[in-house]
Amino acid sequence: MRRLAPLAIAAVCLFGPLAFIEARTWLTLTIAGLAMGMLVFLVAAGLTLIFGLMDVLNFAHGAVFSWGAYVGFSVVALVNRRWGWVDSPSLSQNALAVLLAIAAAMVVALGLGIALERVIVRPVYGRHMFQILITLGATIVLEELIRIGWGPNDQVMPVPLALQGSWDLADVIVLRVPVLAIGMGLLVYAGIQLVLARTRVGLIVRAGVENREMVQVMGHDIHRYFTGVFAAGSALAALGGLMWAVFRQSVSPAMGGEQLIFAFVVVIIGGLGSVTGSLLGALLVGLSYNYVAFLVPKAAIGVTMALMVVVLLARPAGLLGAGK
Amino acid sequence: MSYLRLAALAAFALVPLLGASFQVIDLAMKIALFATLVASYDILIGYTGIVSFGHAMFFGVGAYAVALALTRFGAPTYGHLMAGVLAGMAAGAVLAVVIATFSLRVRAIFFAMITLAFAEFAVILAVQWSELTGGEDGLSPRLPGLLAVGGDGGRLLGVPISSRLVAYYVVLAACLACFLAMARFVHSPLGRTLQAIRDNALRAEALGVRTFACQVAATTFASVVATVVGAGYAVWVRYVNPESTLGVPIMLDVLLMVIIGGIGTLYGGLVGAAFLVTARQSLPYLSRVGAALFPGSALAQALTERWLLYFGVLFILVVFFFPRGVLGTLRQASARRGSS
Repeated sequence: MRRLAPLAIAAVCLFGPLAFIEARTWLTLTIAGLAMGMLVFLVAAGLTLIFGLMDVLNFAHGAVFSWGAYVGFSVVALVNRRWGWVDSPSLSQNALAVLLAIAAAMVVALGLGIALERVIVRPVYGRHMFQILITLGATIVLEELIRIGWGPNDQVMPVPLALQGSWDLADVIVLRVPVLAIGMGLLVYAGIQLVLARTRVGLIVRAGVENREMVQVMGHDIHRYFTGVFAAGSALAALGGLMWAVFRQSVSPAMGGEQLIFAFVVVIIGGLGSVTGSLLGALLVGLSYNYVAFLVPKAAIGVTMALMVVVLLARPAGLLGAGK
Repeated sequence: MSYLRLAALAAFALVPLLGASFQVIDLAMKIALFATLVASYDILIGYTGIVSFGHAMFFGVGAYAVALALTRFGAPTYGHLMAGVLAGMAAGAVLAVVIATFSLRVRAIFFAMITLAFAEFAVILAVQWSELTGGEDGLSPRLPGLLAVGGDGGRLLGVPISSRLVAYYVVLAACLACFLAMARFVHSPLGRTLQAIRDNALRAEALGVRTFACQVAATTFASVVATVVGAGYAVWVRYVNPESTLGVPIMLDVLLMVIIGGIGTLYGGLVGAAFLVTARQSLPYLSRVGAALFPGSALAQALTERWLLYFGVLFILVVFFFPRGVLGTLRQASARRGSS
């Protein structure tokens, strides 16, 4: 019964709005909501890995998100200037440009994650207050570096031709970017679950969540895994940032901070350290945000907060949290 | 130490009487206001061990309460001002109890995230609900009686009593009252209990302390003080908008100040506020100096314009190497000298 409760809530959130919204509009909103949820999930997944396994409150996650967006933005712009891959009608050139941008953003974020973990986070393991403070300092520095390197103003993200426009499915307009976002979110979710459930690394990481000391006693260098998880989480944040930039067709230095709040809310709703919970939470946030933004535009942000409050009151450990 | 405190108070009291320019008086007032705000934040972070990102929100609640009371109910009177302050305090207390009740119930470390989300929500509310709050443009309240622009209090002992002077001393008195209340609070049995919870929550609980209730009480007290400071800010600046009173930038400033001054010192806020407010006021000149020294260099200009970067680096270094801040490090040094 208790296990079914989250699913029941999800079903109510998904189909309840049908009572107020015309079916076709509902479908459009649902796709937009799923896309937004998947984008938030990309950020929240990294956060829940870092928070769930390592017990590190990483406020610099949003800054890494922005860095991913800006690195991807630079690569896309560069590739377009050199070879015109973004504006060309060729699908393969478009895809190559996007893949290059994703690769560059994730590699930079991996490096950033390793550096952050080694220099900033490692001295303050186990001390939450200092983690918050020091990662906040890192956020200030990283954001200001973006403003120095790329300028303080918003910039327009060039979006490949193949991603622009929409498909027309039985009179329902389906934009291409959201579909890509949903696909990517599912891919990342499957990837994380596969690594966590089926590989030796995943086994050790899961064991580390349960009992860190015991994993160390078994002879595994937990610090190396921590660095790896931190870097992987950062890479996910960068991927989320790039996708968000494509979705919104713009980049701004403060974009990470705004998404970080969503990601935190999602991690809290989903339950600490639960990737599936994060996915569920992210979809809930994305869907309810879009439905409410359509029905009562001004209450859109409020609904996210209300969702968090309700979930916390009903299940303090989050939807799928272990309740430690 | 107590001589230093008296000297600081005397300095604040004498600034406007020594013929200082308005800029200097404004600087002193803002230092006093932010020192009080930082001290109230210190009650949370230093004495209770809770990190909140929503503290600036309460500052904004106080400021908006006064501004709304003075603008939305006809000609401003002292009664409106008092009602605004009291309404702000009441709203702050209710909000603090509500937020604390369900976010401290979960896990203390969630507090930072949840308060951050609430603070963001408050900004959006203030911007969106523009019929009431004036949106991005904010409110510019007119003050009653002696505090009004051009209000004339005649002369006292040969000194002309301008409305600025009255406002300065009224707000300074409010800050002083807050400081006294906070000093009393941290040395009260409840304050001692909070420090015990901060140092070892399990042990405090085992000793029969109702940790949850104590923490809620502390958050509420600190939040109410923040609303009073916000009200003082509205009276002094006569202008309230979301960016300058509610936003995350204010919260960042407060965090920097409390870290630089010293966590758990209460009066460290004075050091942090003096440093940061002065630096903020004078740093724009730095970019002019930079432009003069390296004409035409875009990078040099960007590096001098982004002074927040240096605050960020300073912040990290202070957390790493002087986790006790200026005042905490000094106290530690003097304690060591005293014992040896």
